Amino acid sequence: MRSAVVDVRGLRVDLDDRPVLHGVDLQVVEGEVVTLLGANGSGKSTLVRTVVGLVPSVAGEVRLFGTPLRSFHDWWRVGYVPQRTTAAGGVPATVREVVAAGRLARRKLFRPARKADRAAVDHAIELVGLSDQANRSVANLSGGQQQRVLIARAAASEPDLMVLDEPNAGVDKRSQEAFARALRTFVASGRTVLLVLHEMGPLAPLVDRGVVLDGGHVVHDGPLPTPSMTLTGPPDHHDDHREDYGAGLFG
Amino acid sequence: MSFLDYDFMQRALIAAVLTGLAAPAVGTYLVQRRLALLGDGLGHVALTGVAIGLLTGWAPVWTSVAVAILGALAIDYVRAKGRASADVALAMLFYGGIAGGVLITGLAGSTAATLNTYLFGSITTVSQDDLWVVAVLAAVVIALAVGLAPQLFAVCQDEEFARVSGLPVRLYSMLIAVMAAVTVTVAMRTVGLLLVSALMVVPVATAQQLTRSFRTTFALAMVLGVVPSLGGVVFSYYVDVAPGASIVVGSLIGFVLAWPAGSLLRRRRARRSVNGEDPRVTGAHVPTERHPHQHDPECGHPTVEHGDHTDYLHDGHLHAAHDRHYDEH
Repeated sequence: MRSAVVDVRGLRVDLDDRPVLHGVDLQVVEGEVVTLLGANGSGKSTLVRTVVGLVPSVAGEVRLFGTPLRSFHDWWRVGYVPQRTTAAGGVPATVREVVAAGRLARRKLFRPARKADRAAVDHAIELVGLSDQANRSVANLSGGQQQRVLIARAAASEPDLMVLDEPNAGVDKRSQEAFARALRTFVASGRTVLLVLHEMGPLAPLVDRGVVLDGGHVVHDGPLPTPSMTLTGPPDHHDDHREDYGAGLFG
Repeated sequence: MSFLDYDFMQRALIAAVLTGLAAPAVGTYLVQRRLALLGDGLGHVALTGVAIGLLTGWAPVWTSVAVAILGALAIDYVRAKGRASADVALAMLFYGGIAGGVLITGLAGSTAATLNTYLFGSITTVSQDDLWVVAVLAAVVIALAVGLAPQLFAVCQDEEFARVSGLPVRLYSMLIAVMAAVTVTVAMRTVGLLLVSALMVVPVATAQQLTRSFRTTFALAMVLGVVPSLGGVVFSYYVDVAPGASIVVGSLIGFVLAWPAGSLLRRRRARRSVNGEDPRVTGAHVPTERHPHQHDPECGHPTVEHGDHTDYLHDGHLHAAHDRHYDEH
């Protein structure tokens, strides 16, 4: 049996003394792609924010890789993509600089970046297709490209789990496809993804399981109906028709 | 150059260089964090510290650094709590700082002229002892600002992400506040408590007109801090004005000059770089480079279902068979 990467049991979370999650259970096992769906205010964002330790819980338990959140220290194993409209701060920063911040979980204090660190940053930038923009200021990129910068930043620590909070919100189609491809490559190496989505879009074929939240309760947990689309839109001439050799390997 | 013959000018110039380096170094992080006015508030609070020094006879440089650090920690705490009333709480702290400073200075029997030398700087008042304190504090601030640059950058860029990276965000946040407080004291004798914030913010604003990376902004801001600091002190030697005023006016002139150059530069960059997308991730047809072998189920590369065909995971890329070559998928 594959081990649980995310294990949430009986989770209750209050925000400003108002209950947002009521006894939520959620398990994500190794290699799985699970998406949280639900209307605005259903608590899906709060759930992932609690899972990564940004929001305290009132009751229940969260375990990451089998370790209770309180004593979890291997944060390089988690790549987090927060819900943001911009990757820019108050001072200019290049794509490479922002992505390199994602590598800090693997770096020691007062030590320069090693070769492996730089290679991981380059690879993460390449993963989201921004290699040619690596030295540009993030503030000058489109919204979708900035979102991809945040995804590359999360990937830079070479994590085993990606947690993404609405990575497709307000993102152009081109970037959504780029993101879908990046995520596919990530999942192909056997790693785990937990993401919050408003709508499935081009990610639908990638998702193993959907968890639907409503009013802070889980109302559905299981496979979702998949539309007949490939990852990047309707089948086209690139999608070669050959036998499915590896069927089930990552399913 | 005759002014270099005077001991007080030598000390003032050394203090100016240290201030000119430290203030923009910390200021870059404050601006990045969108806390540009923090230095202003800390300057107000530090005034109470100076007054306590005047009242008790302790060195104002020590009392002000102590009070400014306490103020910085209080501000950071209120900010971290994130209450809606934090804004008002901070405002009251700032008013309290300046009112307390004036009040206690009055009780100490000092004059407004004495207070003015702390508010806007004074080139003749940097004592030998002051200079040592200023030099050590500035060196520590600059060393931390440079040495911890990756961590401080991450915290200032995206606090939540930094926390999920496992960084001790509260600690770094307090560190930045304390560094700002120490810088206020360092800058007290040259640019003064009321204008120190300008030296933290204006060089950064000027630098980012011309730069696109954090690293160059940081370095250029420090250069743009030193130049007006030295210039302002020298100007105050010839023309009897408070050095704080000439330093800040000097750095604002720098900003005004950089602004048109910056907008020209930005327009040119924008024109140059519209379409640099990597087609591999945007769905265009990209054959892989020459491939050493034929992918098949036994080749050892992991396979992945992709719609109606199989991709092979090869060195971080997905390869799909297409005619007689492989496409990047």
